[in-house]
Amino acid sequence: MCIWGVLYLFKKLSFLILVFLLFFNLAVFTAYASNSINVVDDMGFLSDSDIQELQDRIDKIKDQFRLDVVIVITDKMNGKSSMAYADDYYDYNGYGIDSQYSGLLMLINMKDREVWISTTGRAIDIFTDGRISDMTDKVAPYLSKGNYSQACHKFLDDVFTYAYSGVPSGQYREERIPDFYQKNPTYWQKVSRLLRSWPVYVIPLIISIAATIIITYSSKGKVTITNKTYEESGSFVLTQNTDQFLRESVTRTRIDTESSGSGSSSHNRSSTHTSSSGRTHGGGGRSF
Amino acid sequence: MSSVKEYKCPNCNAPLEFNPPTQNWKCHYCASEFNLEQVNKVHRDEASDQDMQELDSYKCSSCGAELIADSTTSATFCLYCKSPAIIKTRFSGKFKPKSVIPFRITKDQAKEIYKNWITKKLFAPKKFKLKEEIDKVTGIYAPFWLFDCKVVGVISGEGTTVTSWREGNYRCTSTKYYLVTRRGAAFYKRVPVDASKKLDDYFMYLAEPYDYSDLKDFSMKYMSGFMAERYDVESDRAEFSMKARVQTYFEERLINTISGYSSFSVREKNINISNIEASYAMLPIYLLINKFNGKDHVFIINGQTGKVVGDTPISLLRQFVFALIVFVAVWIICVFGGCFICLKN
Repeated sequence: MCIWGVLYLFKKLSFLILVFLLFFNLAVFTAYASNSINVVDDMGFLSDSDIQELQDRIDKIKDQFRLDVVIVITDKMNGKSSMAYADDYYDYNGYGIDSQYSGLLMLINMKDREVWISTTGRAIDIFTDGRISDMTDKVAPYLSKGNYSQACHKFLDDVFTYAYSGVPSGQYREERIPDFYQKNPTYWQKVSRLLRSWPVYVIPLIISIAATIIITYSSKGKVTITNKTYEESGSFVLTQNTDQFLRESVTRTRIDTESSGSGSSSHNRSSTHTSSSGRTHGGGGRSF
Repeated sequence: MSSVKEYKCPNCNAPLEFNPPTQNWKCHYCASEFNLEQVNKVHRDEASDQDMQELDSYKCSSCGAELIADSTTSATFCLYCKSPAIIKTRFSGKFKPKSVIPFRITKDQAKEIYKNWITKKLFAPKKFKLKEEIDKVTGIYAPFWLFDCKVVGVISGEGTTVTSWREGNYRCTSTKYYLVTRRGAAFYKRVPVDASKKLDDYFMYLAEPYDYSDLKDFSMKYMSGFMAERYDVESDRAEFSMKARVQTYFEERLINTISGYSSFSVREKNINISNIEASYAMLPIYLLINKFNGKDHVFIINGQTGKVVGDTPISLLRQFVFALIVFVAVWIICVFGGCFICLKN
């Protein structure tokens, strides 16, 4: 009974720690862009004519597909992950077209050298995990070379292509941590994920119970006599020592060849998560 | 002739007590020491082979007070004048021990050993760590049956060897079965069996072994200054537990001669024990019994070798606090340190 009580207490505690972590992530956010500025370049990588060209293309996409498109290049992350920054930037700066705030944002995070695409509303369904990973894979080489304007144009090419083709058949939503953060979680993400997993409660519980049992029952004293202690030395004689072969049996079992690998059904999946504003976002990214 | 024996100092007539470090007899009044020969010169009378009649009560030969003793207590102290008193009738006739291993550990050493042992017990309640409790450690000569015997026996069983190899897409495993037989004989000397019902058999077993090179012919003189019990388990009863022990020793001995198999299981065994001879001996222990929640917890030190065995009372609260501390500590390590290991990928 008391074991479950203790477990319950720690579940409660873990919730408190989670709340604390979320609070920690809610750093001050300064809003200065309006929803008609869709290209934000804090680093000065893009020339004014580049920005104007990109803005014109974005305006066309907005008209044609009713999807907002934002490009942010920055190194001022305010201690946030690329995902959280992209989501928050989109949410708190008044982007989004319809009642679902449909649209997507590409964040070029120069601090961590990561590119992140955050999707909202209908864009979540159009830009599946597979498409987003294709897009970021295409953009990353240009970013590595420092060709930022070309990278943005490639991004808009893909936005146009996918928006035109619409939601792929077999698309589905699933609430999960994006692959990128599953593979490269930050320290606090690891901690919060561990807090919600059962092994961090079960392992200490087993260890503490085992340690208590061992100490409770240990050291009553060890038996230090052996089967030779009371044997008169040299009195042991072996008069028969036979090993007679009886039979042999051979079994053959087939070795299973490597299984066909895990199903790659994740292509049509749109992973979703909830940002600090409470809205649902999709997204994905990679480092460059 | 008095029925209670007290060994007196030839110089000052105060009681003599056996002194473990020097293995001599010491007078605590005039500080003189005497060896076995010197004591023998003064005190010739020894435990008799004749059965002596049990008396209803015994009187201290120093002060005349009545001795308070259990029916099995053979050596004790006078409650009033603290003089060692040995009840001769309980060492005579069939109760006359053949041999004795004298104490090597002094009472002060025994207290020190207990103190060290109990302080290491995390779950023991505090009151068992107090000085008053430690002072209760008592030196006792415990009655034992020592058995000599001859063992002849045979074991047989099935041994297997397993080899495995790969043939294309198949794993082949070959198991060879053998009939393994071992026959042998051995002599066992002085297998001790606790002969007192008062003392816990298991803890007495754990306190073994004793070094038999110290084994001496019995003399009541060694009892002076210690408590002693006489046996209340007859030798034919004790023989059963001896036989069980010797059988497992011999079986293990035979099994140890079997090698080279992946597995071996005994199918048949036949072990005969013969030429059994029992002799009655007094072996030294220090004993402390802690009563806690109506249960006795035994603590025993082998009075010759100093080996410690025992069972401590356990405080539930201390157990719970310990479990909680371990849980929280491991939990913190898991959560904040585990991130580096478990999720590194």
